[in-house]
Amino acid sequence: MNESVILLSLVSAVVIGTPILLAGLGEMMTEHSGVMNLGIEGMMLGGGVVGFWMSTQHASLPLAMAVGAGVGALFALIHAYLAVTLRVNQIVSGLALVITGTGFAGFVGSLNDSTLIYARPVSSFSPVFGEGIRQIPLAGPLIFGHDWVVYLSWALVVLAAFWLFRTRAGLALRAVGEDPATADTVGISVTATRYVYTMIGGAGAGLGGTYLMVKIFANYQHGITAGLGWIAFALVIFAGWRPWRALVAAYVFGALRNLGFSLQILGVDVPSDVLNVLPFVLTIVALIVLSARPATARKFSAPSALSVPYSRESR
Amino acid sequence: MTLSLGDFQLTVEKRQETSRLVRMAAPTFSVAFGLVIGALILWASGQDPILAYTEMVRKGFLGRLALTGTLIIATPLILTGLAAVVSFRMKIWNIGAEGQLIVGAVAASGLGLWLGDRITGPVGIVLMLVAGAVAGALWAGLAAVPRAYLRTDEVISTLMLNFVALSIMNYLIFSSFSYWRDPGRATFPVGRFINDGLFLPRFVGRLHIGLLLALATAVLLWWALKSTKWGFELHVTGDSPRAASYSGIRVDRQVVSVLMVSGSLAGLGGAIEVGGVLHNLDPRALSLGVGFAGIVVAALARLSPLGVIPVAIFVAGFTNAGPGLQVLGIPSEIVILLEGILFLCIVGGEWFLRNAVRVRRGYRSARMSAL
Repeated sequence: MNESVILLSLVSAVVIGTPILLAGLGEMMTEHSGVMNLGIEGMMLGGGVVGFWMSTQHASLPLAMAVGAGVGALFALIHAYLAVTLRVNQIVSGLALVITGTGFAGFVGSLNDSTLIYARPVSSFSPVFGEGIRQIPLAGPLIFGHDWVVYLSWALVVLAAFWLFRTRAGLALRAVGEDPATADTVGISVTATRYVYTMIGGAGAGLGGTYLMVKIFANYQHGITAGLGWIAFALVIFAGWRPWRALVAAYVFGALRNLGFSLQILGVDVPSDVLNVLPFVLTIVALIVLSARPATARKFSAPSALSVPYSRESR
Repeated sequence: MTLSLGDFQLTVEKRQETSRLVRMAAPTFSVAFGLVIGALILWASGQDPILAYTEMVRKGFLGRLALTGTLIIATPLILTGLAAVVSFRMKIWNIGAEGQLIVGAVAASGLGLWLGDRITGPVGIVLMLVAGAVAGALWAGLAAVPRAYLRTDEVISTLMLNFVALSIMNYLIFSSFSYWRDPGRATFPVGRFINDGLFLPRFVGRLHIGLLLALATAVLLWWALKSTKWGFELHVTGDSPRAASYSGIRVDRQVVSVLMVSGSLAGLGGAIEVGGVLHNLDPRALSLGVGFAGIVVAALARLSPLGVIPVAIFVAGFTNAGPGLQVLGIPSEIVILLEGILFLCIVGGEWFLRNAVRVRRGYRSARMSAL
């Protein structure tokens, strides 16, 4: 019986880890371009609420996810305009985006006497693989038991790792994030790069938000993300801006969200608040440990130009 | 940068100096722009924008009840705004006011409960407020010390500490039978109430003296930044930490002191909320984003301690009007959305203070001169 509890919590760690991973991967790409977007929580809510609404209106699930991603990217576009073109303080702009996205989701959710809060998705995500493969012990439920979004997130991890460290475009992206002036001199458009990857970050948050509402809760409630966007922000730092580490860390963070429940079944009573706080504590500890060891820190530190606006005149 | 549209030519130039007119016009225009976007959203969702805006002004600002309600909401916002001002002035980005406020509320309510009816009145109240400020300062210190001595990024550490504080508060009320929780209420957890001898005195309706404390703090901070050695060193360090350390300023100590002062302001805000409004530790009322909003308020006030006051009152008015709109069938969440839109617009409008857009006729001649 204990084994099945452990297996179940591992499976749910993957499910809950998926929106964190999608949003976190997006933010990671944004930050590699030198833009810090604190607005993840707002973009998840804002993109998610529209994606969720689509799913209640007979839209196919891929379409709902795509629309959620699109709306998330539009929210990010606001941040890109403020941070890249107008060069305003990225902390201020990101936090304003959190408020805007939260307000937007709340407003949409409350329209027509809160119809959306009582609405349910028309169809639900189903496992990709057949019953036979899912019966395989361990690997069945853990690896083959998921819906397509989980596999999409795995593909995106591979793609992000390959893109960042094995392609010219990825090199250009990292150059913009590390040393925009040099990137500019060799003909890379700092502005265009930052716009594109900021919007990719918004799309990731929109995907994550939609998946959270359609799959995990099958429901919209005000503030449904409950800090998941901030966990995604922590994830980027905890993973040292590396996609593969983000994959592992997302599931660790996901497991912590659900661990209280599983431990309770096993007769151990650890309050969920203690577990919920661990991703943030772990990130602080990792950060302090890294800053105490400069040699390791150099390998896993933030892009040098992160949150520094670029202006050609002041080069 | 030049953009040509037919016979017209738009040129963007850096302003050498910003006139008073532009200083006033840019935010006014931005607010108007934001209100137009808000009106479009309301209109598109089948609401009457004119009705919504009139009600917002009426329920947020007009009349004694509306105004006192707004000022009560503005009080903690002024303090978190000041917390952001003092740290941002030194280019130290404390985005942990949210958590520092919560920890301040935890400490103030804890001390208030412990004092019970033993020490009440002014002495007890002062002790509670001091406890809140000290707790906020220490909480900020958790990020300040690694920042000063290990160069640990304070943006991330202060941000993360918000959620740690939030979890501690939730744990104290929802997940444990702590000292803070009312033991009689098992199914619907609430915090124990402090003795009414420790309530902040009220002077107009529900409006308590916390507002006056916040205003006095703003004046004090304005003076400290302008006229003290500490304020001078803060600005020098903000402009160039290297130059500051050459001139003998202990930058590490300066970082710790500024972050702790910033934390104490937010912590004081939490203590005032407990003493003046909540009278217990109430996680439902203390996790509403006052810390984050304070940062935007500080930015809109251009990091001026006195400027924080009108901006915070303006923002609080919107928040206060929200529930009143619900009665008319307009979702109260519109005020949060509108706040966000206005924030984005005003922050974006700051650009016009630094850059001038000039429109010229005669594309051809301008081009000739460019050659």
